[in-house]
Amino acid sequence: MMEKTLKMESKKIDFYYGSFKALQEVSLQFHLNRVTALIGPSGCGKSTYLRCLNRMNDLIPSSRLVGEITLDDMNIYESGVDVVELRRRVGMVFQKPNPFPKTIFENVAFGLRVNGVKDRNVLSEKVEISLRQAALWDEVKDRLQASALGLSGGQQQRLCIARALAVEPEVVLMDEPASALDPIATQKIEELIHELKKNYTIVIVTHNMQQAARVSDTTAFFYMGKLIEVNATENIFTRPKYKQTEDYITGRFG
Amino acid sequence: MESRFHKELEELKMTILQMAALTERALEKAVHSLLVRDTEVAKEVVRGDQEVNSLELEIDRLCLKLLALEQPMARDLRFIIGTMRIAVDLERIADQAVNIAERTIFLASRPPLRFNPAMQQLGDTAIDMLKSVISAFINESEEQAIDVCQMDDTADELNVKILKDLMDYMLHDTPAIERSVQTIIAARCLERAADQATNIAESVIFIIKGVNIKHHCQRT
Repeated sequence: MMEKTLKMESKKIDFYYGSFKALQEVSLQFHLNRVTALIGPSGCGKSTYLRCLNRMNDLIPSSRLVGEITLDDMNIYESGVDVVELRRRVGMVFQKPNPFPKTIFENVAFGLRVNGVKDRNVLSEKVEISLRQAALWDEVKDRLQASALGLSGGQQQRLCIARALAVEPEVVLMDEPASALDPIATQKIEELIHELKKNYTIVIVTHNMQQAARVSDTTAFFYMGKLIEVNATENIFTRPKYKQTEDYITGRFG
Repeated sequence: MESRFHKELEELKMTILQMAALTERALEKAVHSLLVRDTEVAKEVVRGDQEVNSLELEIDRLCLKLLALEQPMARDLRFIIGTMRIAVDLERIADQAVNIAERTIFLASRPPLRFNPAMQQLGDTAIDMLKSVISAFINESEEQAIDVCQMDDTADELNVKILKDLMDYMLHDTPAIERSVQTIIAARCLERAADQATNIAESVIFIIKGVNIKHHCQRT
């Protein structure tokens, strides 16, 4: 394995929805070329935490973050940070594939156009690169002008990944990216994650323990808004340190 | 809440305990038959081995099924892997008991040796180690498992002593060479059984702590 390079870090962050404290003193580091899985029962705060990493929670009224999250050396919650640029650098893929009702080409080109790219050749080239990175190119190269809505669920999800990659992010956040997919499509996404980590920092939320075990290098276990344990994935799934982690991953919870 | 999976793990535990009880009984009977030259008991040990063998296969089947269907994690995973290893060692101990019983059948058909080696002590040590390690497994006691590992030295020393004593004895009583050699083989079987009990102790520690102390490997 390569040396670890710190890419993102949260330092003792608290997060509130109104007066409800959804996250408590969460400190975590994310490294370049590493996949970090966030696991924990529903409502434990893992998705909330994921959305803190590109300020998606800003859209929720009365929500508030205390503490600091850095991307390289920049505090992303500092006033004056360009949130659109932040979200370009820290891209996101959601649980349900959400392609736009546009052509396959336009879906991937969308972010580029928003960022002002107009040159047809540049667009074509970047769309192809992104679709190749998302392992979708061979399946769609002959129908780029067809509607994205005609693709299968698994293909739509890879299209959304291609769309996220087109704007050349540095960090990719994935919120249960395979939970709506069948096993074969899931396997493709997981293979893809292995490929993508060569170029990106990846953070994935998953309810599927086996998936976390398969795709990640580091696993972080959340419970009731707190980070209980973070360690190498192999350690978490063979000999976790804390009883709460053990109980959760062996299905003895509650 | 007790899940279906955890009930199956309990079932696996019951099966390995049943196998352990049969193995313990076989070793006790083998040692007893050797010491009192009882051919009937020795034959029982030989016949009984089949049951231990089929339990080993049953445990293998259960473990494979649980690994494939439940994808166990953490402690559950360690328990299943540890149990598979323990089943292999128990089966080997039962085979040692059969080997001792076969020596007994040979020795009982001939006059006893005029020299009495430390077989009783070695037999007691091996049986003691097996009983303790089964208890360590049931009670998930790391301390008890470590004690078993330490008892292995005693078994080794007794075996060496028996070997030396019988070699000296053979020099002075050449007609007893064949019987002495058979007795040396029986001692060697007990020493191996003690080694296998030590292996089980290592598996118990692996189940409890998730660390492998085999070959004094302390990597965590």
